[in-house]
Amino acid sequence: MRVPHTTLHTCANGTRLYTMHNSKQGVIRVSFIFRAGTSWQSVPFSASATINTLSEGTERFSALEIAERLDFVGSYFDANIDRDWAVLTYCSLSKFATETFEIAEQVVLHPTFPEKEIEVYCAKRKEQLIVQRSKPDHLSRELFGKSLFGAEHPYGITSPAEAYDSLCRGDVEEFYRTHYTAENCFAVLCGDITDEHIARTMAILEQLPHGTTLERTIPAPAPQHFATLNVEGAVQSCLKIGTPLFPRTHPDFIPMQMVATAMGGYFGSRLMQNLRERHGYTYGAYSAMINLDQSGYFVMSADVASDYTEAAIEEMIHEVERFCSKPMDERELQMVKNIIFGDVMRIFDGPFGVADVTIENIQNGTDNGYTERLLHQVATAQASHLQEVASKWLIPSNLTTTIVG
Amino acid sequence: MIEFKQHTLANGLRVLANHDDCSGMAAVNILYAVGSADESPTRTGFAHLSEHLMFRGTEAVPSYDTPVQEVCGENNAFTSADYTDFYVTMPKENFETDLWLEADRMRGLNIDADTLEVEKSVVIEEFRQRYLNRPYGEQWHTLRDMVYTTSPYRWPVIGLTPDHIREASLEEVKSFYDRFYVPSGAILSVSANIEPERVFEAAERYFGHLPALPTPVRGNVEQSPLAAPVRKVIESAVPADQITIGFLMEGRKERGYYLCDLLTDLLAGGESARLFQHLVKQKQIFSATNAYITGEVGNGMLILTGQLCSGVTIEQAEEALYEELRLLAEEPIGDYELQKVKNKFEANITFGELNVMNKAMNLGYYAMLGDMALLNGEVEIYRSISAEEIASYVRTKLTPERSATLIYRKTK
Repeated sequence: MRVPHTTLHTCANGTRLYTMHNSKQGVIRVSFIFRAGTSWQSVPFSASATINTLSEGTERFSALEIAERLDFVGSYFDANIDRDWAVLTYCSLSKFATETFEIAEQVVLHPTFPEKEIEVYCAKRKEQLIVQRSKPDHLSRELFGKSLFGAEHPYGITSPAEAYDSLCRGDVEEFYRTHYTAENCFAVLCGDITDEHIARTMAILEQLPHGTTLERTIPAPAPQHFATLNVEGAVQSCLKIGTPLFPRTHPDFIPMQMVATAMGGYFGSRLMQNLRERHGYTYGAYSAMINLDQSGYFVMSADVASDYTEAAIEEMIHEVERFCSKPMDERELQMVKNIIFGDVMRIFDGPFGVADVTIENIQNGTDNGYTERLLHQVATAQASHLQEVASKWLIPSNLTTTIVG
Repeated sequence: MIEFKQHTLANGLRVLANHDDCSGMAAVNILYAVGSADESPTRTGFAHLSEHLMFRGTEAVPSYDTPVQEVCGENNAFTSADYTDFYVTMPKENFETDLWLEADRMRGLNIDADTLEVEKSVVIEEFRQRYLNRPYGEQWHTLRDMVYTTSPYRWPVIGLTPDHIREASLEEVKSFYDRFYVPSGAILSVSANIEPERVFEAAERYFGHLPALPTPVRGNVEQSPLAAPVRKVIESAVPADQITIGFLMEGRKERGYYLCDLLTDLLAGGESARLFQHLVKQKQIFSATNAYITGEVGNGMLILTGQLCSGVTIEQAEEALYEELRLLAEEPIGDYELQKVKNKFEANITFGELNVMNKAMNLGYYAMLGDMALLNGEVEIYRSISAEEIASYVRTKLTPERSATLIYRKTK
């Protein structure tokens, strides 16, 4: 399988743009990626408030004008943030690229963060967070992060909804000024693109001001073994079991990704077979390796009937032990390989998926050659090696378990 | 624009094929004309349960998923009130694998008491996860029951109660499957870089031997409008007060459907739409709000909903929603705004045709509707809608007298 490669354009200020012409369908996508995720913030909610209010007013356009102009040409816009990164994406019909770039330029370079809009944003987000925190699945994610890394750790911390009351325009403006800089940004452009689209994107990137190269030290995780949270009236328990590990750059990441796929990465996986197909404890059980900039973790997850909480935890641990005690047979190994190949092929179906792959590879300090190496490593993996790697990293007595329900 | 060719086998199976030359993947979709609207009121949730059982294996293939996954395929399924849909994407070289599997499970399902028991508990957990274990979880059960008095749209796809699933007998489940999972009730659609003739030839090879069986008779889904407004208040430990107003609307192929679709887009399609701008940003009555249509083939619902900001009363929130309807009724929409929503439909159609999966699904859906001209023809219908037509619809149809209102009040 061939992984599409991108062309690199470097702007005068050092900002990189990766492009690929890969569509005849009259659509383009451009993403601006900033090292500005929530783990970079010192004021609670300031990182997410920054990316989410970039479009709330710029030097030339009000929030309403921005929304109107994008909606009028049917372009859509997405602001996404995780612990490490903030990503702004625009998708547009090629024939409306000019209109879309005009907005993107204002939003990336000239946001004004109007006081009034920030106030409305904070009030609204506070209410929404309170709603989120009444849902067991949301609480489960928060509790697991906290238990895995530590309540004050940049990858585990959560803030009370009341922190929105004191978040002000100054905090957002400051976060923007220090993090949305040439040193902290790259962009990816793909679809039915022309030289003009490339020039237009570079013209935006070249105006990004220089800042300082940001450094930080992420402390080592301080996992807790067990945590539980009672939710009044819950009829299910949200279970998560896992352990902090390492980022994608670690040599054992790909083998562990294969372990996670075998455990809970597809419908016929071990956790699904056990918890759903054999016992009917749950509608779905999953497992994954999650990549973070300076860490990563392995997680298994299931929402189970409250009466079977203990039984389900036992089965999940049992599946870990079983994996570590015996290599999988050839048929299962081949299945895991095919699942991963299929997932990669599916991402490349359609013109926009390649952007997501490129973004992740650049974030990890690699390029799309990484995805080729990943496919090669998966193709040649041995069952005995996966068993060895799993035994090294998944020690049942070291795992963190959280129960919400 | 999705180009396609179609062909019907002697046993009644309809086959549609789109030749896509961009993708290396093939999408195979198989749609069965059976949904929760085909269930008996005392045995609800059966269409959805059958969808689950379709993955439980046959004599020949004990697990449907295994061979799909072995050829790098990914599959899933969903059930709606009107149909049940199974879909797969896989490298195009392997597409016949799925035709073989689909033909096999169309007539050969192997359900015994044990597999049924396990699948029942999986479905009951799904019921709990989606409808019981979350705030506002029972809202669709309640609202549907208020709007629909005779139509089987009265119950959600998951069913009226987990008891119907718990009590389902093996014979009942088998007879439901036997009745609806037949070639003449199914539509096979494929989008891939494969010549349509090759798709038809392969369909003949894998499905041609299945017997011709009676075409399933569908349930009557019609519902007459409410005689008087209905209202219900639920006091519950929800995080915020919520108001939801439902109006019964026209069926999928009637002009009223397109009017409602367009007018909910005016209200809630994108950041610049009215509800978000007026009620979330300017007046700060709701922290989140939405307007949409539920989209059934028969009479669906037009929904207006919002979660209230603290300090706002239910009366203020309800009045604010009706004020937006009054605006639509009294001040005809300007050309600009109408053009905006029409452009949005066109762009969404282009974005929706970028991958093979959406195209295969669309082919199946429009074939089920029984009007392939709509597949590429709906943009023209949206273009033909005038501002006055929308105003007149709102004036006559979206009135308090015709509404069903469900309110959640947060317990202190």
